[in-house]
Parts: sequence; C-alpha cells; structure tokens
Amino acid sequence: MGETRSVFWGLSRAEIVVWYGLIVVSTAIFAVGVAMLVSKYRAGRREPLRDLGQRALRMLHIVFSHTWIRRRDRVAGLGHAMVFYGFLVLFAGTTILGIDTDITKPIFHTNFWTGPFYLAFKVALDLGGLFLLAGLVLLGANRWIRRVPRLDYRRPDRAQGEYDRGLYRAGDVVFVTTLFTLAITGFFLEGTWLAVTHPSFADWSFVGWVLMELFRSAGFTGHAAELSHHVIWWVHGVAAEAFVASIPFTKAVHMLAAPANVALRDTDAGKRLVALPADAEPDQVGYSLVTDLLRHQLLSLDACTKCGKCTDACPAAAAGYPLSPRDLILDLREAAEATLGAHSFLRAAGAPGLDREVLGTTIRAETLWSCTQCMACVEICPVGIEHVPIINQFRRQLVERGELEPMLQSSFETLFKAGNSFGEPKRKRGRWTDGLDFEVKDIRKEPAELLWFVGDYASFDPRSQRVSQALATVLHHAGVDFGILRDGERSAGCDVRRAGEEGLYATLAEANIAAINACDFERVFSSDPHSFHTLKNEYPAFGGDWNVVHHSELLLELVESGRLIPRRRLGYRATYHDPCMLGRYNGVFEAPRRLLAAIGVDLVEMPRNRDNSLCCGAGGGRIWMKEQRAEGSRRTSEQRIDEATALGRLDYFVVACPKDVTMYSDAIKTSGHEGEIELREITELVLESLGIPGGSESEVAETRAGR
Amino acid sequence: MKTVVCVKQVAALGDEVEIDDSGRDVDHDYLESSLNEWDVFALEEALRLKESLDGQDGHEVVVVTVGDEECEQALRRCLAMGADRAIRVEAGGIDESDPLTTARRLAGIIGREVPDLVLCGVQSSDAVQAATGVMLAELAGLPRVAVVTSVHYDATSAKAQVHRELEGGLLDEVEVGMPALLTIQTGINEPRYANLRAIKQANAKEIEVVNVPSEGPRAYTVRKMFVPEKGDGAEMLGSDAAVVAARIAEIVRARLS
Ligand code: SF4
Ligand code: SF4
Repeated sequence: MGETRSVFWGLSRAEIVVWYGLIVVSTAIFAVGVAMLVSKYRAGRREPLRDLGQRALRMLHIVFSHTWIRRRDRVAGLGHAMVFYGFLVLFAGTTILGIDTDITKPIFHTNFWTGPFYLAFKVALDLGGLFLLAGLVLLGANRWIRRVPRLDYRRPDRAQGEYDRGLYRAGDVVFVTTLFTLAITGFFLEGTWLAVTHPSFADWSFVGWVLMELFRSAGFTGHAAELSHHVIWWVHGVAAEAFVASIPFTKAVHMLAAPANVALRDTDAGKRLVALPADAEPDQVGYSLVTDLLRHQLLSLDACTKCGKCTDACPAAAAGYPLSPRDLILDLREAAEATLGAHSFLRAAGAPGLDREVLGTTIRAETLWSCTQCMACVEICPVGIEHVPIINQFRRQLVERGELEPMLQSSFETLFKAGNSFGEPKRKRGRWTDGLDFEVKDIRKEPAELLWFVGDYASFDPRSQRVSQALATVLHHAGVDFGILRDGERSAGCDVRRAGEEGLYATLAEANIAAINACDFERVFSSDPHSFHTLKNEYPAFGGDWNVVHHSELLLELVESGRLIPRRRLGYRATYHDPCMLGRYNGVFEAPRRLLAAIGVDLVEMPRNRDNSLCCGAGGGRIWMKEQRAEGSRRTSEQRIDEATALGRLDYFVVACPKDVTMYSDAIKTSGHEGEIELREITELVLESLGIPGGSESEVAETRAGR
Repeated sequence: MKTVVCVKQVAALGDEVEIDDSGRDVDHDYLESSLNEWDVFALEEALRLKESLDGQDGHEVVVVTVGDEECEQALRRCLAMGADRAIRVEAGGIDESDPLTTARRLAGIIGREVPDLVLCGVQSSDAVQAATGVMLAELAGLPRVAVVTSVHYDATSAKAQVHRELEGGLLDEVEVGMPALLTIQTGINEPRYANLRAIKQANAKEIEVVNVPSEGPRAYTVRKMFVPEKGDGAEMLGSDAAVVAARIAEIVRARLS
C-alpha cells in the first residue's frame, strides 16, 4: 500500500463511532452559532449590496496580503501571517484528509492519501504547524512579554473600576492556548506514531521525525508510545472539535466576521456621509438603538479583534477625552450580543424585553461628542470597522433630540442666523480683501477661471485672513484668473455635518451650491481642507459637482508649470503637519511636500506623518465645544508641538489648514515651546520664496507679529 | 393637561441703528429678530412637563404670540422644539405693542383655550418690562407666580411646587393649584436645540391666525424714539496704553480717597 498512515490507527470501532458523533455535535454547534450570528446581523437596517464579485476579490487581496494587518506593527503582522498561513495549511490538510477518509475511500474505494502526495503533504503540514507555533509565540510575546500598550485593556473613556475586561483577557488566553495545543498535540501524534511504527519514510515528517528520534533514544517506543498516541489522539481531536464549535462564540469569530466585513464594508466609510431622507421620522434619524446599525456594521462589531490600533491612533483618547473607539465598538458588540445574539437566545423568553436602546446609556453622549471625526481609527483598523459614520449617526440622533453640548448649540444657532460660525454679518465676508492693492473679482458678477471657496476661518479669523491675503497675492502675481463669492458664500458646513446637524448642513450646502452654480468658472479651489473635502466629496450628492482642488495642489501646479517661479531658495528647516481632511480623507500627502521642496524648504518629518498624522483636535465640530480633557493631560495640539520640537532645531511648523493655524499658534504658546518654533501656513512660505513686494521680510515679520 | 406658552418675537440691534421716518421706532432693516430668550425656557419647561406626564392622554402644548406675520418665525421655532399647536393673534405697529394691549389679546386666547397652565417668560429682551405676564394673569383671573426658577408638578393633586427668585439670591417656595400662570426665569432648564430638520418640517405646519379686539386704555404710547445724546458723564480715555493706564490709576485713587 506504500507510504500512508491510517487516520484511526489504534482506535477501536466504538471509539470511531464516538468520534463521528463528536464531529456531528461540534459541526451542529458551529452551524447553529453561525445561524445565530446571521440572525443577529439581519436585525440591523437593510442596505443594498452591489459589486459582490469585486468586493470578494478585494477582500481576498487584503486578507491574503495582510496589508492592513501588518501596518504600524510589523511584529504583530508577521506573527499573524504565520498563524494565518500555518492554520490555513493545517486546515487544508485536515480537509483533504477528511475527504480521503470519509468520501473517496468509502465511496470510490480508493485512497489518494498515499505515496508521493502523502509525503509532500507531510512536509507541508509540518511546515504549517511550525509556522503556527512560531506565530503564536510571537503574538503571545507581543501581548504578554513586550506588553504593547495598545493591547492592554485600559479604557480612557471610563474610570478605573468602572469596567472589567477580565473575560476578554481570559478569551485571549484560551484562544492562543487552544491553537497552541492543537499544533503541539499534532506533532506529538506524529512523533509517537513514528516511534511505534518507524516507517522508512519517517524523515519526511521532519518535525515528527525529530520527536521520534527523541522518543526512541529515550526508549519511549512500543506499548508506552502507542498508549500515549492514543491519549494524544483524543486530546488533539477533542480540542479540534471544541475549537470548531467555539468559533462563532469566541474571539475566533473574527476568522469569519473580519473577512466578511472587509468584503461588505463601505469603501467610502466615513468619507462621504449619507444624506438623510427628507421624510425620515424622528426615530429614524441617525442611530439610537443597536438595531439601527446597518447589517454589515453589526457584523463588523464581531470582526473587532480588540487590537487597540484605533484607540492608539485616536487623538481624543490621547488627550484623555472619554472616548476610545475600540471600546465603543466593544460596547456596541456587547449590546448587540445581549439583545440579539446567542446570549439572548439562551435567555429565550427575556430577549425581546432587553433594552436595545444604547444611546445615552451604554454609548454616552460625552463619548460621542469627544470625537473629532479625524478618521484615524477607520484608517488603521485592520478589519475595516467604520467608527466614524457610526459615531456620526449617533450624533445625528442626539441633535434630533435636541440634546447638544451647550456651546455647540449656540454655534449652530449662530451658523443658522449668520451663515458663518463667527456670527459676523454676511457683508463682511469679503472684507479681508480690503488690504490688498488689487481687486479680487466678485465671481458672481464676472466669470473667472477659478472659483475660490474661502471658508469661514480664512474669511473671518484675523490670523488666517493674512494667509488669505498672501494666497491672493501669490495668485495675482502668477496671473491666475480667480474670483470669490463674497457674501454669497456660507460656511461649507463640513463640521456641521460631522457634528450631526444634517438639516443645517443641507441648508448651508444647498445655499452654497445655488450660489456656485450661478457663477461662470472652470474649477473650484479652497484654502480650507474642510470646505475642500465636503465640496469635493459630499456636495455632489446635493447637486454640486465640480472639479475641486486644494490650494496646495493648485500652487504646486503653478510652480510645476512655470507660472510661479520661486526666486529665492528659502533654506529653512521645517516640519509639515498633514490636516486630516486633506491627508487621510483625500490622500493629498505629496502636493504640499513637493511644494515645500520646490521652494527650498528642508522637510523633517515628524514620526506621525501622512496617514498617521495626529489630529489637531478641532475637527468634527470640536472647535465649537468645551474641552473635555482629563485633568493633567496635554492637548493633542500640544503633543504635536512636542513631537515637532523633539526633531531638533526647526524654523517652522508648516500647516495647510486655517484651523491648524489657530490650533497650533495657540499650542506653540501653551505647550511651553514658544520661541523654539514658529507657525507658517504653506502659502506664506510660497509668497516669501517669490521675492516680490508683499512677500518681503518686513511684511512677513508684520504678519508674524499680527499673530 | 393643556399648557399655553405665550411667546414673543424680539428684536435685537445690529452694529448700526437708524430711527425710521416716523421718529417713533427703529428702522426694521437694522433689526435682527429671534424668539425671546425667556420664552425659550418657558417652552422648554412646558415640553418637559408634558414629557414627564407622558402616557396619559390629551397633553398639549400650545404656543401663542401677538404680532404681525413676521412673528410667525418665533412660532415656527417653537413648533420645531416640539410645541403641538401655534396661534398668532393679529396685531401690528408700535401703537399696539404695549404690554396691556398685548395682555388683553392673550387673555382672549386663554378664555378660548381654557388651559390648565399658562407659562410666560419673565420679560422680553427688547422691551424689558416684565409686565405682560402678570397683567395677563390679572385679566384672565388666574393666580400667578412670577420669576419662577423651578416647577414640580404633581398630577394627582393638580398642584405645583414652585420656587421663585427673590432679591439677593433668596428663594421662595410656593404651592399653586392649577389653573395658574407662571412667569419663567432663564436658567430653569437647558432648552433643547431646535434642529434644522425640525424647523423645515415646522415650516410646513399650519399656524392659526385669529383676531382678538383689544379695547381699552394702553399702558403707554410711544411719542418719540431717539439715540440719547452723549452726555458728559463719561470720560473717553483714548490714545496710548501707558497714558490710559496712568489716567485710570489716577481716577481710581481719587475715588478711593
Ligand atoms: S475619528 Fe478620530 S477622534 Fe473619532 S474615534 Fe476615530 S480616531 Fe478617535
Ligand atoms: S475596531 Fe479595529 S482597530 Fe479597533 S480594536 Fe477593533 S479591530 Fe482593532
């Protein structure tokens, strides 16, 4: 019969019957578990699913390449890849073995688990087992020896003693030990079998062979080895069955839910928020019940592996605000599980009475208001969870109920009345142009190539007005044909929307769209990343579809096409802060950097740059709310200045967003680094590089003094 | 339980002011109008009362204002906050805006609606007379409690325990049986936000417009409105910061000695 080994070697008939019985039981438990999960997800809001084929392909790519898992922690990424591939090989092996034993042999009376195939199989399986073990050791070391902070279960959103993560900790131990046991017993099974039968092809199973040699040299053969084999066989088998049965109920569920979520998630999650239907009933506005989540969002909760990468990246958590995106997801998961999941099944009768209402109870308003909607969490989550739109939906319901943070409430009222958050009369919107020695076109009256959407901050904030003047001067110098809407412009509403006031957002957006559509132009640009983002990505759904660019892209274009010639290499050493709305939201990372290079600025990167940029803390409407920082914690903007000044002597902290101008001008003062570094908006440096009147040293100095 | 809340659309001055041609009123182009702040608190209190009694039938919060069509803005804001019904009593012009005339018109509505509770703001931010509410109580024959800072309503006895604010931070605790009229002080609660969706939906709701005659004397008549001349009472300290500081120090020293 050649090289092979009987699966049930040494087992009695009765034992084989028991074994098959166990398989049936564990498979049934698994199936029931999966059915419960599916029924839980189906309790969520329906949503259309398109492009399933494409989604599946994308998912396979992401899962198999591990691109998302390995980000920002190579060790964990490698460990996970080893576990994943090791497990996959072993799983495939077991499946092939099952097919051979239970299908081809009994039905076709032939056996393919023999000969060269068997030998190759042995090598592959031993390799897979080794990978699995090594991966588990690596991951275990990461968690329990290296003690990566993001893996501790400390909740920045709750007081100590207010929560208990003991079950999660135990779950991690059980998960790792089960897999470890499976791999180890697999090898011992092989070793003992080889030690007893000692076939000629033993060395193909190289790990088993080593064990065999050890056993034989220790005189551990014959009956003793046979008996051990018997015992280990059962330990291995029962552990495997238990593992299969437990998948839907434990941490292992991410093996199913994570790939499913990667396929089903909204690829624009967070970037384009969905509009509210005009006829929505008050209780359909946003989320308040756990069943308000979309089906794939309910599924995504189970995909969370508690890796903590989101909380690690979260600026709110970093500044001690009562928000931790991981724990928000876990709280929702627990609520879903308690009211819709297996737990509720077990409690059968009590289930419908359980409270599905999570807003204001499990999910606290202060947690929701803490979010800056910076997208750092969504961007890094290895399983594609959509914290940002979920938080936003809960905020919408808070706004619907009228339960607002008081300062936010008055800001909304101001925005509604004045059309800008500064409460300034509309007619003053274009006043910043008064200080220029040329006319800025009113694009409502005469056509221009470019429509400049200035935004609230750049129009009204005195420091940012100077930046607007600098930009106008640069564009005028380059002979660019541009115009502004003056009092025809309203706040773009980006942060209004992010704060959950969808009705006000729609009002502002519609007013802007009507104003812009009435003008004659080719492209739109904005010097405010928030306005830029919402005009570019969210206005199309309201009927405003234009070609929109950020001023850093526009300036680079002008430099590269030779319309703008930097005559002076500035030679400054500077660092650049990526605004969330420009970088993470829109992937504009390189334009500002190339622009800085073109004007001779020596860029020194902060450790957290590009997609890992740290939010200044102003987004998501936070700029209109009272600080909720924990006592003694530093603002994220201050932490950012710490980060920049730790790079050594720098001339400038360069930003490309009016809110950053405000946030970091303040932070330089309050962080205790005043005098060590200065803030510059990128346009101001471009102006300086042109060597023209208006951009000269003295005038620049005046700009600085005016800060 | 039916609660009527009397509200007013108030005017606020912008940066600049002009008196109109009649010389008796501010040119309306220079005014920004909004719902009187005190009335927002009164409405919120009514809505909270209604919500706390939820589960029993027939609770209604009715808002009433006296004024021209412009004033419907204030009513819409109330509807957006959650009022069930809105009534506007027709009136217009500077001669019909004194508190007694207004109270008489409101009394007509109270007579018609027969509410269990009437809430008014203590005063309006533009006229600042604190008169309409108490006059209304008198005209409608209702017991009244003024400057109320907390209300605890007991549905079984149809009585309310209320706190009213006295001078010097003192509080007076009063029990009042329904029907009654309370004038509500700011800060009694945290008014909810009327979101834009609700405001838009409120725009589609109907506002009942009625005519209630107001016969009888007026509280006052406006003869002339003007920007007071700058008197000698104030000394303007211009120029250099150091000079200003020195002058202030001088004045303070003189006053203290
Ligand atoms: S969007 Fe930013 S602030 Fe909000 S939860 Fe995610 S990481 Fe935290
Ligand atoms: S939500 Fe995503 S990033 Fe956050 S802990 Fe869960 S899996 Fe990790």
